[in-house]
Amino acid sequence: MSHFLVFVKKELVEYARTYKLLILLVVFIIFGIMNPLVAKLTPELLTSFMPEGMFVTIPEPTALDSWAQFFKNTQQMGLIVLLLVFSGVLGTELTKGTLINLLTKGLSRQAVVLAKYTAMVLVWTLSVVVSAMLTWIYTVYLFPDGPMGYLFVAIFCMWLFGVFLLALLLASATMVRGNYGGLLLTGLALVILMVVNIFPEAHTYNPLSLGAKNMSLVSGTVDPSSLYAAMVVSTLAICGLLFLSVLVFQKKEL
Amino acid sequence: MNVLEIADLHMSFGNNKVLRGLNMEIPENSVFGFVGRNGAGKTTTMKIVLGLLKAQCGFVKVCGEEVRYGATRTNRHIGYLPDVPEFYGYMKPMEYLRLCGEITGLSSALIKDRSRELLELVGLDGVNRKISGFSRGMKQRLGIAQALLNEPRLLICDEPTSALDPIGRRQILDILSAMRGKTTVVFSTHILSDVESICDRIAVLEQGELVLSGTLAEIQKQHRRNSYHIRFASDGEAEEFSQTEELKREGVELEREGCSLTISVSDVSVGAQELIDLLSRKSMAPERFEVLEPTLESLFTEVVQ
Repeated sequence: MSHFLVFVKKELVEYARTYKLLILLVVFIIFGIMNPLVAKLTPELLTSFMPEGMFVTIPEPTALDSWAQFFKNTQQMGLIVLLLVFSGVLGTELTKGTLINLLTKGLSRQAVVLAKYTAMVLVWTLSVVVSAMLTWIYTVYLFPDGPMGYLFVAIFCMWLFGVFLLALLLASATMVRGNYGGLLLTGLALVILMVVNIFPEAHTYNPLSLGAKNMSLVSGTVDPSSLYAAMVVSTLAICGLLFLSVLVFQKKEL
Repeated sequence: MNVLEIADLHMSFGNNKVLRGLNMEIPENSVFGFVGRNGAGKTTTMKIVLGLLKAQCGFVKVCGEEVRYGATRTNRHIGYLPDVPEFYGYMKPMEYLRLCGEITGLSSALIKDRSRELLELVGLDGVNRKISGFSRGMKQRLGIAQALLNEPRLLICDEPTSALDPIGRRQILDILSAMRGKTTVVFSTHILSDVESICDRIAVLEQGELVLSGTLAEIQKQHRRNSYHIRFASDGEAEEFSQTEELKREGVELEREGCSLTISVSDVSVGAQELIDLLSRKSMAPERFEVLEPTLESLFTEVVQ
Protein backbone atom coordinates (compact mmCIF):
# COMPACT_ATOMS: atom_id res chain seq x y z
CA MET A 1 0.00 0.00 0.00
CA SER A 2 1.38 3.42 -0.88
CA HIS A 3 2.30 5.90 1.82
CA PHE A 4 -0.61 8.06 0.68
CA LEU A 5 -3.23 5.36 1.15
CA VAL A 6 -1.72 4.19 4.45
CA PHE A 7 -1.89 7.71 5.79
CA VAL A 8 -5.42 8.37 4.47
CA LYS A 9 -6.51 5.22 6.33
CA LYS A 10 -4.73 6.42 9.50
CA GLU A 11 -6.42 9.83 9.25
CA LEU A 12 -9.89 8.31 8.82
CA VAL A 13 -9.34 5.96 11.77
CA GLU A 14 -8.20 8.98 13.80
CA TYR A 15 -11.32 10.98 12.90
CA ALA A 16 -13.49 8.03 13.90
CA ARG A 17 -11.75 7.33 17.21
CA THR A 18 -11.29 10.92 18.31
CA TYR A 19 -15.00 11.61 17.63
CA LYS A 20 -14.30 14.23 14.94
CA LEU A 21 -16.27 12.22 12.40
CA LEU A 22 -19.09 11.69 14.90
CA ILE A 23 -19.31 15.41 15.77
CA LEU A 24 -19.50 16.42 12.11
CA LEU A 25 -22.02 13.74 11.19
CA VAL A 26 -24.25 14.57 14.16
CA VAL A 27 -24.18 18.29 13.28
CA PHE A 28 -24.94 17.66 9.61
CA ILE A 29 -27.63 15.05 10.37
CA ILE A 30 -29.32 17.57 12.67
CA PHE A 31 -29.16 20.16 9.88
CA GLY A 32 -30.56 17.62 7.41
CA ILE A 33 -33.55 16.87 9.61
CA MET A 34 -34.11 20.43 10.82
CA ASN A 35 -33.97 22.23 7.44
CA PRO A 36 -37.40 21.12 6.10
CA LEU A 37 -38.94 21.14 9.57
CA VAL A 38 -37.87 24.72 10.29
CA ALA A 39 -39.17 25.80 6.86
CA LYS A 40 -42.50 24.08 7.52
CA LEU A 41 -42.94 25.31 11.09
CA THR A 42 -41.66 28.89 10.77
CA PRO A 43 -44.99 30.41 9.54
CA GLU A 44 -46.92 28.59 12.28
CA LEU A 45 -44.44 29.72 14.92
CA LEU A 46 -44.57 33.31 13.68
CA THR A 47 -48.38 33.26 13.74
CA SER A 48 -48.48 31.87 17.26
CA PHE A 49 -46.16 34.63 18.52
CA MET A 50 -48.22 37.43 16.95
CA PRO A 51 -50.08 39.67 19.38
CA GLU A 52 -53.81 39.00 19.52
CA GLY A 53 -55.75 40.90 16.89
CA MET A 54 -52.78 41.34 14.54
CA PHE A 55 -53.03 39.67 11.15
CA VAL A 56 -50.05 39.19 8.88
CA THR A 57 -50.14 37.30 5.63
CA ILE A 58 -47.31 34.80 5.61
CA PRO A 59 -46.83 32.96 2.34
CA GLU A 60 -47.23 29.19 2.37
CA PRO A 61 -43.77 27.55 2.79
CA THR A 62 -42.34 25.71 -0.21
CA ALA A 63 -39.45 23.38 -0.99
CA LEU A 64 -37.41 26.47 -1.79
CA ASP A 65 -37.61 27.55 1.85
CA SER A 66 -36.38 24.15 2.94
CA TRP A 67 -33.34 24.34 0.64
CA ALA A 68 -32.74 27.94 1.70
CA GLN A 69 -32.42 26.60 5.26
CA PHE A 70 -30.06 23.87 4.01
CA PHE A 71 -27.68 26.30 2.31
CA LYS A 72 -27.82 28.82 5.15
CA ASN A 73 -27.06 26.25 7.86
CA THR A 74 -24.39 24.38 5.92
CA GLN A 75 -22.56 27.46 4.72
CA GLN A 76 -22.60 29.22 8.06
CA MET A 77 -22.61 26.86 11.04
CA GLY A 78 -21.59 23.83 9.00
CA LEU A 79 -18.42 25.37 7.60
CA ILE A 80 -17.52 26.91 10.97
CA VAL A 81 -17.83 23.50 12.68
CA LEU A 82 -15.84 21.91 9.83
CA LEU A 83 -12.98 24.41 10.21
CA LEU A 84 -12.98 24.14 14.01
CA VAL A 85 -12.90 20.33 13.93
CA PHE A 86 -9.98 20.33 11.47
CA SER A 87 -8.18 23.36 12.91
CA GLY A 88 -5.40 21.21 14.40
CA VAL A 89 -5.02 19.05 11.30
CA LEU A 90 -1.26 19.54 11.09
CA GLY A 91 -0.49 21.73 14.10
CA THR A 92 -1.33 19.02 16.64
CA GLU A 93 0.99 16.51 14.98
CA LEU A 94 3.80 19.06 14.73
CA THR A 95 3.41 20.28 18.30
CA LYS A 96 3.24 16.77 19.78
CA GLY A 97 5.88 15.32 17.47
CA THR A 98 3.81 12.29 16.42
CA LEU A 99 4.95 12.62 12.82
CA ILE A 100 8.65 12.27 13.68
CA ASN A 101 8.55 8.48 14.09
CA LEU A 102 6.73 8.03 10.81
CA LEU A 103 8.84 10.47 8.81
CA THR A 104 11.99 8.74 10.01
CA LYS A 105 10.47 5.49 8.69
CA GLY A 106 10.51 6.95 5.20
CA LEU A 107 6.98 8.42 5.05
CA SER A 108 7.12 11.18 2.46
CA ARG A 109 6.05 14.64 3.51
CA GLN A 110 4.09 15.03 0.29
CA ALA A 111 2.04 11.95 1.23
CA VAL A 112 1.32 13.47 4.67
CA VAL A 113 -0.05 16.71 3.20
CA LEU A 114 -2.07 15.09 0.41
CA ALA A 115 -3.45 12.33 2.64
CA LYS A 116 -4.57 14.79 5.30
CA TYR A 117 -6.31 16.86 2.65
CA THR A 118 -7.97 13.83 1.04
CA ALA A 119 -9.26 12.57 4.38
CA MET A 120 -10.72 15.99 5.25
CA VAL A 121 -12.39 16.26 1.84
CA LEU A 122 -13.85 12.75 2.23
CA VAL A 123 -15.34 13.66 5.61
CA TRP A 124 -16.71 16.95 4.25
CA THR A 125 -18.21 15.13 1.25
CA LEU A 126 -19.85 12.53 3.48
CA SER A 127 -21.27 15.28 5.72
CA VAL A 128 -22.71 17.21 2.76
CA VAL A 129 -24.15 14.07 1.15
CA VAL A 130 -25.80 12.90 4.39
CA SER A 131 -27.24 16.34 5.14
CA ALA A 132 -28.43 16.87 1.55
CA MET A 133 -30.00 13.40 1.37
CA LEU A 134 -31.92 13.94 4.62
CA THR A 135 -33.04 17.41 3.54
CA TRP A 136 -34.14 16.01 0.18
CA ILE A 137 -36.13 13.12 1.72
CA TYR A 138 -37.94 15.37 4.21
CA THR A 139 -38.46 18.12 1.64
CA VAL A 140 -40.07 15.71 -0.82
CA TYR A 141 -42.25 14.39 2.03
CA LEU A 142 -43.30 17.80 3.40
CA PHE A 143 -43.37 19.91 0.21
CA PRO A 144 -44.33 17.86 -2.82
CA ASP A 145 -44.27 20.97 -4.99
CA GLY A 146 -42.30 19.95 -8.02
CA PRO A 147 -38.73 19.81 -9.30
CA MET A 148 -35.94 22.16 -8.28
CA GLY A 149 -33.92 24.19 -10.79
CA TYR A 150 -30.20 23.60 -10.60
CA LEU A 151 -30.20 22.02 -7.13
CA PHE A 152 -27.27 19.66 -7.76
CA VAL A 153 -25.15 22.43 -9.26
CA ALA A 154 -25.89 24.57 -6.20
CA ILE A 155 -24.89 21.74 -3.84
CA PHE A 156 -21.76 21.08 -5.91
CA CYS A 157 -20.78 24.78 -5.72
CA MET A 158 -21.20 24.77 -1.95
CA TRP A 159 -19.17 21.54 -1.69
CA LEU A 160 -16.44 23.03 -3.91
CA PHE A 161 -16.29 26.11 -1.68
CA GLY A 162 -15.80 23.81 1.35
CA VAL A 163 -13.04 21.94 -0.51
CA PHE A 164 -11.40 25.30 -1.25
CA LEU A 165 -11.64 26.32 2.43
CA LEU A 166 -10.00 23.04 3.52
CA ALA A 167 -7.12 23.63 1.09
CA LEU A 168 -6.77 27.13 2.53
CA LEU A 169 -6.79 25.74 6.08
CA LEU A 170 -4.13 23.14 5.26
CA ALA A 171 -1.88 25.66 3.51
CA SER A 172 -2.24 28.03 6.47
CA ALA A 173 -1.42 25.19 8.90
CA THR A 174 1.86 24.46 7.08
CA MET A 175 2.89 28.10 7.37
CA VAL A 176 2.21 28.82 11.02
CA ARG A 177 2.79 26.86 14.19
CA GLY A 178 0.12 25.86 16.70
CA ASN A 179 -3.44 24.63 16.41
CA TYR A 180 -5.22 27.91 15.93
CA GLY A 181 -2.63 29.81 13.85
CA GLY A 182 -3.88 28.06 10.72
CA LEU A 183 -7.45 28.92 11.57
CA LEU A 184 -6.59 32.59 12.04
CA LEU A 185 -4.70 32.73 8.75
CA THR A 186 -7.67 31.08 7.00
CA GLY A 187 -9.96 33.70 8.54
CA LEU A 188 -7.65 36.44 7.31
CA ALA A 189 -7.63 35.00 3.78
CA LEU A 190 -11.45 34.95 3.79
CA VAL A 191 -11.57 38.57 4.91
CA ILE A 192 -9.30 39.45 1.98
CA LEU A 193 -11.63 37.60 -0.41
CA MET A 194 -14.58 39.54 1.05
CA VAL A 195 -12.75 42.83 0.54
CA VAL A 196 -11.95 41.84 -3.05
CA ASN A 197 -15.65 41.08 -3.54
CA ILE A 198 -16.44 44.79 -3.08
CA PHE A 199 -15.43 45.22 -6.72
CA PRO A 200 -18.26 43.89 -8.96
CA GLU A 201 -15.72 42.75 -11.60
CA ALA A 202 -14.29 40.28 -9.05
CA HIS A 203 -17.62 38.51 -8.46
CA THR A 204 -17.24 36.35 -11.56
CA TYR A 205 -13.96 34.86 -10.38
CA ASN A 206 -14.11 35.03 -6.60
CA PRO A 207 -14.51 31.61 -4.89
CA LEU A 208 -16.91 33.34 -2.47
CA SER A 209 -19.40 33.54 -5.38
CA LEU A 210 -19.77 29.75 -5.18
CA GLY A 211 -21.71 30.18 -1.97
CA ALA A 212 -23.58 33.37 -2.91
CA LYS A 213 -25.91 32.19 -5.68
CA ASN A 214 -27.22 28.90 -4.31
CA MET A 215 -30.87 29.87 -4.05
CA SER A 216 -30.82 31.65 -7.41
CA LEU A 217 -29.54 28.39 -8.92
CA VAL A 218 -32.18 26.33 -7.10
CA SER A 219 -34.98 28.65 -8.21
CA GLY A 220 -33.57 28.61 -11.74
CA THR A 221 -33.11 32.38 -11.99
CA VAL A 222 -29.36 32.08 -12.56
CA ASP A 223 -27.70 29.91 -15.15
CA PRO A 224 -24.82 27.65 -13.91
CA SER A 225 -22.61 29.06 -16.66
CA SER A 226 -22.35 32.31 -14.65
CA LEU A 227 -20.36 30.33 -12.06
CA TYR A 228 -18.01 28.47 -14.39
CA ALA A 229 -15.26 31.08 -14.00
CA ALA A 230 -15.48 30.93 -10.19
CA MET A 231 -15.39 27.13 -10.33
CA VAL A 232 -12.28 27.14 -12.51
CA VAL A 233 -10.57 29.76 -10.33
CA SER A 234 -11.44 27.80 -7.17
CA THR A 235 -10.12 24.54 -8.66
CA LEU A 236 -6.89 26.24 -9.72
CA ALA A 237 -6.62 27.87 -6.29
CA ILE A 238 -7.07 24.45 -4.61
CA CYS A 239 -4.29 22.97 -6.76
CA GLY A 240 -2.08 25.99 -6.07
CA LEU A 241 -2.72 25.84 -2.32
CA LEU A 242 -1.93 22.10 -2.21
CA PHE A 243 1.27 22.66 -4.19
CA LEU A 244 2.21 25.44 -1.78
CA SER A 245 1.39 23.26 1.24
CA VAL A 246 3.66 20.45 0.00
CA LEU A 247 6.42 22.91 -0.82
CA VAL A 248 6.30 24.65 2.57
CA PHE A 249 5.97 21.41 4.52
CA GLN A 250 8.93 19.87 2.71
CA LYS A 251 11.11 22.78 3.81
CA LYS A 252 9.79 22.81 7.37
CA GLU A 253 12.30 21.97 10.09
CA LEU A 254 10.83 19.45 12.52
CA MET B 1 32.57 -0.35 6.97
CA ASN B 2 31.23 2.87 8.46
CA VAL B 3 27.46 3.00 8.84
CA LEU B 4 27.51 6.70 9.57
CA GLU B 5 29.95 9.35 8.34
CA ILE B 6 29.69 12.97 9.38
CA ALA B 7 32.05 15.51 7.87
CA ASP B 8 32.59 19.18 8.70
CA LEU B 9 29.03 19.68 9.99
CA HIS B 10 28.12 23.26 10.91
CA MET B 11 24.81 24.40 12.33
CA SER B 12 23.62 27.59 14.03
CA PHE B 13 20.34 28.72 15.51
CA GLY B 14 20.53 32.51 15.20
CA ASN B 15 23.80 33.54 16.78
CA ASN B 16 24.10 30.30 18.69
CA LYS B 17 26.62 28.04 16.96
CA VAL B 18 25.51 24.53 17.85
CA LEU B 19 27.85 22.51 15.63
CA ARG B 20 31.30 23.76 14.64
CA GLY B 21 32.76 21.44 12.04
CA LEU B 22 31.75 18.10 13.54
CA ASN B 23 33.53 15.06 12.10
CA MET B 24 32.59 11.54 13.14
CA GLU B 25 32.62 8.00 11.80
CA ILE B 26 30.72 5.10 13.29
CA PRO B 27 31.72 1.55 12.32
CA GLU B 28 29.13 -1.14 11.70
CA ASN B 29 27.77 -3.23 14.58
CA SER B 30 29.18 -1.06 17.36
CA VAL B 31 27.27 0.34 20.31
CA PHE B 32 28.28 3.96 20.13
CA GLY B 33 27.84 6.34 23.04
CA PHE B 34 27.36 9.94 22.00
CA VAL B 35 28.04 11.94 25.12
CA GLY B 36 27.71 15.62 25.86
CA ARG B 37 26.20 18.16 28.16
CA ASN B 38 22.66 19.41 27.59
CA GLY B 39 22.81 21.75 24.62
CA ALA B 40 26.10 20.31 23.33
CA GLY B 41 24.51 19.56 19.93
CA LYS B 42 23.64 15.86 20.23
CA THR B 43 19.97 16.10 19.26
CA THR B 44 20.75 18.59 16.49
CA THR B 45 23.30 16.15 15.03
CA MET B 46 20.77 13.32 15.15
CA LYS B 47 18.06 15.39 13.50
CA ILE B 48 20.45 16.32 10.69
CA VAL B 49 21.30 12.62 10.24
CA LEU B 50 17.56 11.93 9.94
CA GLY B 51 17.03 14.72 7.41
CA LEU B 52 14.77 16.64 9.79
CA LEU B 53 17.11 19.64 10.07
CA LYS B 54 19.24 21.30 7.43
CA ALA B 55 22.93 21.72 8.15
CA GLN B 56 24.54 24.94 7.01
CA CYS B 57 27.69 23.19 5.90
CA GLY B 58 29.15 19.69 5.66
CA PHE B 59 27.61 16.34 4.79
CA VAL B 60 26.24 13.21 6.38
CA LYS B 61 26.33 9.75 4.82
CA VAL B 62 24.27 6.81 6.05
CA CYS B 63 25.42 3.43 4.70
CA GLY B 64 27.32 5.31 1.98
CA GLU B 65 24.31 7.38 0.85
CA GLU B 66 24.29 11.12 1.39
CA VAL B 67 21.45 12.45 3.57
CA ARG B 68 19.29 15.09 1.88
CA TYR B 69 17.29 17.50 4.04
CA GLY B 70 13.52 16.99 3.76
CA ALA B 71 13.97 13.69 1.91
CA THR B 72 13.55 10.38 3.66
CA ARG B 73 15.39 7.90 1.41
CA THR B 74 18.31 7.25 3.75
CA ASN B 75 15.89 6.72 6.65
CA ARG B 76 15.14 3.21 5.37
CA HIS B 77 18.48 2.20 6.93
CA ILE B 78 17.65 3.91 10.23
CA GLY B 79 15.53 3.18 13.27
CA TYR B 80 14.99 6.24 15.46
CA LEU B 81 13.95 6.53 19.07
CA PRO B 82 13.35 10.18 20.08
CA ASP B 83 14.00 11.25 23.68
CA VAL B 84 10.25 11.53 24.25
CA PRO B 85 8.60 9.28 21.68
CA GLU B 86 5.08 10.41 20.82
CA PHE B 87 2.41 8.08 19.52
CA TYR B 88 -1.22 8.22 18.48
CA GLY B 89 -2.87 7.70 21.83
CA TYR B 90 -6.03 6.19 20.35
CA MET B 91 -4.05 3.26 18.88
CA LYS B 92 -2.99 0.01 20.53
CA PRO B 93 0.65 -1.14 20.29
CA MET B 94 -0.03 -3.73 17.56
CA GLU B 95 -1.97 -1.16 15.52
CA TYR B 96 0.83 1.37 15.80
CA LEU B 97 3.44 -1.16 14.70
CA ARG B 98 1.17 -2.14 11.79
CA LEU B 99 1.05 1.51 10.70
CA CYS B 100 4.85 1.76 10.94
CA GLY B 101 5.27 -1.53 9.07
CA GLU B 102 2.96 -0.43 6.26
CA ILE B 103 4.92 2.80 5.88
CA THR B 104 8.17 0.83 5.83
CA GLY B 105 6.69 -1.37 3.09
CA LEU B 106 6.75 -4.68 4.97
CA SER B 107 4.29 -7.41 4.02
CA SER B 108 1.26 -7.95 6.23
CA ALA B 109 2.46 -11.34 7.47
CA LEU B 110 5.94 -10.00 8.24
CA ILE B 111 4.50 -7.03 10.13
CA LYS B 112 2.47 -9.40 12.29
CA ASP B 113 5.44 -11.67 13.03
CA ARG B 114 7.92 -8.84 13.66
CA SER B 115 5.45 -6.92 15.84
CA ARG B 116 4.86 -9.96 18.07
CA GLU B 117 8.59 -10.66 18.27
CA LEU B 118 9.47 -7.04 19.12
CA LEU B 119 6.68 -6.55 21.63
CA GLU B 120 7.96 -9.65 23.37
CA LEU B 121 11.52 -8.30 23.26
CA VAL B 122 10.49 -5.03 24.91
CA GLY B 123 8.14 -6.70 27.37
CA LEU B 124 4.88 -5.38 25.94
CA ASP B 125 3.52 -8.67 24.63
CA GLY B 126 -0.07 -9.14 25.67
CA VAL B 127 -0.56 -5.43 26.36
CA ASN B 128 -3.73 -4.71 24.42
CA ARG B 129 -4.81 -1.30 25.59
CA LYS B 130 -4.62 2.18 24.14
CA ILE B 131 -1.19 3.87 24.11
CA SER B 132 -2.70 6.95 25.80
CA GLY B 133 -2.71 4.95 29.05
CA PHE B 134 0.98 3.97 28.82
CA SER B 135 3.62 5.06 31.32
CA ARG B 136 6.76 6.88 30.16
CA GLY B 137 8.80 3.66 30.36
CA MET B 138 6.23 1.70 28.36
CA LYS B 139 6.23 4.39 25.68
CA GLN B 140 10.03 4.26 25.57
CA ARG B 141 9.91 0.47 25.12
CA LEU B 142 7.29 0.76 22.40
CA GLY B 143 9.56 3.39 20.84
CA ILE B 144 12.37 0.85 20.66
CA ALA B 145 10.01 -1.72 19.12
CA GLN B 146 8.94 0.69 16.36
CA ALA B 147 12.54 1.72 15.76
CA LEU B 148 13.60 -1.91 15.27
CA LEU B 149 10.63 -2.91 13.11
CA ASN B 150 12.40 -2.48 9.77
CA GLU B 151 15.56 -4.26 11.04
CA PRO B 152 17.60 -1.06 10.65
CA ARG B 153 21.35 -1.10 10.11
CA LEU B 154 21.57 1.97 12.31
CA LEU B 155 19.52 2.49 15.47
CA ILE B 156 19.63 6.06 16.77
CA CYS B 157 18.43 6.61 20.33
CA ASP B 158 18.26 10.14 21.66
CA GLU B 159 18.69 10.10 25.44
CA PRO B 160 16.50 7.01 25.82
CA THR B 161 17.05 6.66 29.56
CA SER B 162 17.15 10.26 30.73
CA ALA B 163 13.67 10.41 32.25
CA LEU B 164 13.23 6.84 33.41
CA ASP B 165 13.33 5.30 36.87
CA PRO B 166 16.27 2.93 37.62
CA ILE B 167 14.31 -0.19 36.67
CA GLY B 168 13.03 1.32 33.42
CA ARG B 169 16.56 2.54 32.67
CA ARG B 170 18.05 -0.92 33.22
CA GLN B 171 15.41 -2.48 30.95
CA ILE B 172 16.17 -0.07 28.11
CA LEU B 173 19.94 -0.56 28.52
CA ASP B 174 19.49 -4.34 28.44
CA ILE B 175 17.46 -4.13 25.24
CA LEU B 176 20.04 -1.87 23.59
CA SER B 177 22.87 -4.07 24.79
CA ALA B 178 21.12 -7.09 23.26
CA MET B 179 21.32 -5.35 19.87
CA ARG B 180 25.13 -5.62 19.88
CA GLY B 181 26.32 -7.44 16.77
CA LYS B 182 22.88 -7.24 15.12
CA THR B 183 22.72 -3.54 14.39
CA THR B 184 24.75 -0.40 15.01
CA VAL B 185 23.42 1.52 17.99
CA VAL B 186 24.08 5.24 18.41
CA PHE B 187 23.02 6.22 21.85
CA SER B 188 23.13 9.84 23.00
CA THR B 189 23.13 10.59 26.69
CA HIS B 190 24.63 12.62 29.48
CA ILE B 191 24.41 9.69 31.91
CA LEU B 192 27.99 8.45 31.82
CA SER B 193 27.39 5.25 33.75
CA ASP B 194 24.95 4.15 31.01
CA VAL B 195 27.63 4.67 28.40
CA GLU B 196 30.25 2.80 30.42
CA SER B 197 27.90 -0.12 30.92
CA ILE B 198 26.90 -0.80 27.31
CA CYS B 199 28.96 1.19 24.78
CA ASP B 200 32.06 -0.09 23.08
CA ARG B 201 32.88 3.22 21.37
CA ILE B 202 32.43 6.73 22.71
CA ALA B 203 32.45 10.26 21.35
CA VAL B 204 32.23 13.32 23.56
CA LEU B 205 30.69 16.42 22.04
CA GLU B 206 31.41 19.79 23.59
CA GLN B 207 30.30 23.13 22.16
CA GLY B 208 29.65 21.56 18.79
CA GLU B 209 33.02 19.86 18.47
CA LEU B 210 34.24 16.35 19.14
CA VAL B 211 36.68 16.48 22.05
CA LEU B 212 37.08 12.75 22.67
CA SER B 213 36.54 9.74 20.45
CA GLY B 214 37.42 6.05 20.39
CA THR B 215 36.92 2.95 22.50
CA LEU B 216 36.85 3.49 26.24
CA ALA B 217 40.18 1.63 26.52
CA GLU B 218 41.79 3.83 23.85
CA ILE B 219 40.52 7.00 25.49
CA GLN B 220 41.73 5.86 28.89
CA LYS B 221 45.12 5.04 27.40
CA GLN B 222 45.37 8.42 25.66
CA HIS B 223 44.47 10.33 28.79
CA ARG B 224 46.17 8.13 31.32
CA ARG B 225 48.07 9.94 34.01
CA ASN B 226 50.09 7.77 36.33
CA SER B 227 47.85 7.79 39.37
CA TYR B 228 48.26 5.51 42.34
CA HIS B 229 46.32 4.92 45.46
CA ILE B 230 48.23 3.65 48.51
CA ARG B 231 46.53 2.73 51.78
CA PHE B 232 48.72 2.50 54.88
CA ALA B 233 48.02 0.89 58.22
CA SER B 234 47.96 4.25 59.98
CA ASP B 235 47.63 7.99 59.33
CA GLY B 236 51.20 8.44 60.59
CA GLU B 237 52.66 6.11 57.98
CA ALA B 238 50.75 7.89 55.23
CA GLU B 239 52.00 11.26 56.52
CA GLU B 240 55.57 9.99 56.74
CA PHE B 241 55.54 8.64 53.19
CA SER B 242 54.02 11.85 51.85
CA GLN B 243 57.02 13.75 53.28
CA THR B 244 59.53 11.62 51.31
CA GLU B 245 62.03 13.93 49.59
CA GLU B 246 61.89 12.02 46.25
CA LEU B 247 58.19 12.86 45.95
CA LYS B 248 58.66 16.58 46.58
CA ARG B 249 59.24 17.67 43.03
CA GLU B 250 57.52 19.13 40.02
CA GLY B 251 54.99 16.86 38.27
CA VAL B 252 54.05 14.92 41.39
CA GLU B 253 50.80 15.68 43.15
CA LEU B 254 49.99 14.19 46.54
CA GLU B 255 46.63 14.05 48.21
CA ARG B 256 46.36 12.51 51.65
CA GLU B 257 43.11 11.57 53.30
CA GLY B 258 43.57 9.77 56.60
CA CYS B 259 45.65 6.68 55.97
CA SER B 260 45.14 6.88 52.19
CA LEU B 261 47.46 8.63 49.79
CA THR B 262 46.69 9.39 46.14
CA ILE B 263 49.74 10.16 44.02
CA SER B 264 49.31 11.63 40.53
CA VAL B 265 52.47 11.73 38.47
CA SER B 266 52.77 13.53 35.14
CA ASP B 267 56.51 12.70 35.03
CA VAL B 268 56.43 9.24 33.49
CA SER B 269 59.83 8.39 34.96
CA VAL B 270 58.13 7.95 38.29
CA GLY B 271 56.15 4.77 37.82
CA ALA B 272 54.77 2.05 40.03
CA GLN B 273 58.17 0.37 40.30
CA GLU B 274 59.78 3.56 41.65
CA LEU B 275 57.08 3.95 44.27
CA ILE B 276 57.42 0.32 45.33
CA ASP B 277 61.22 0.82 45.61
CA LEU B 278 60.65 3.92 47.75
CA LEU B 279 58.29 2.01 50.03
CA SER B 280 60.80 -0.80 50.27
CA ARG B 281 63.68 1.54 51.15
CA LYS B 282 61.56 3.04 53.91
CA SER B 283 60.56 -0.46 55.06
CA MET B 284 56.91 0.35 54.68
CA ALA B 285 54.35 -2.28 53.75
CA PRO B 286 51.08 -0.69 52.62
CA GLU B 287 47.79 -2.50 53.02
CA ARG B 288 46.83 -1.68 49.46
CA PHE B 289 48.62 -0.44 46.35
CA GLU B 290 46.45 0.36 43.35
CA VAL B 291 47.08 1.81 39.89
CA LEU B 292 44.14 4.13 39.17
CA GLU B 293 42.47 4.06 35.74
CA PRO B 294 40.75 7.30 34.69
CA THR B 295 36.96 6.92 34.74
CA LEU B 296 34.76 8.22 31.94
CA GLU B 297 33.38 10.73 34.41
CA SER B 298 36.83 12.07 35.27
CA LEU B 299 37.78 12.22 31.58
CA PHE B 300 34.50 13.92 30.69
CA THR B 301 34.95 16.49 33.44
CA GLU B 302 38.53 17.07 32.31
CA VAL B 303 37.69 17.65 28.63
CA VAL B 304 34.59 19.78 29.07
CA GLN B 305 36.10 22.12 31.64
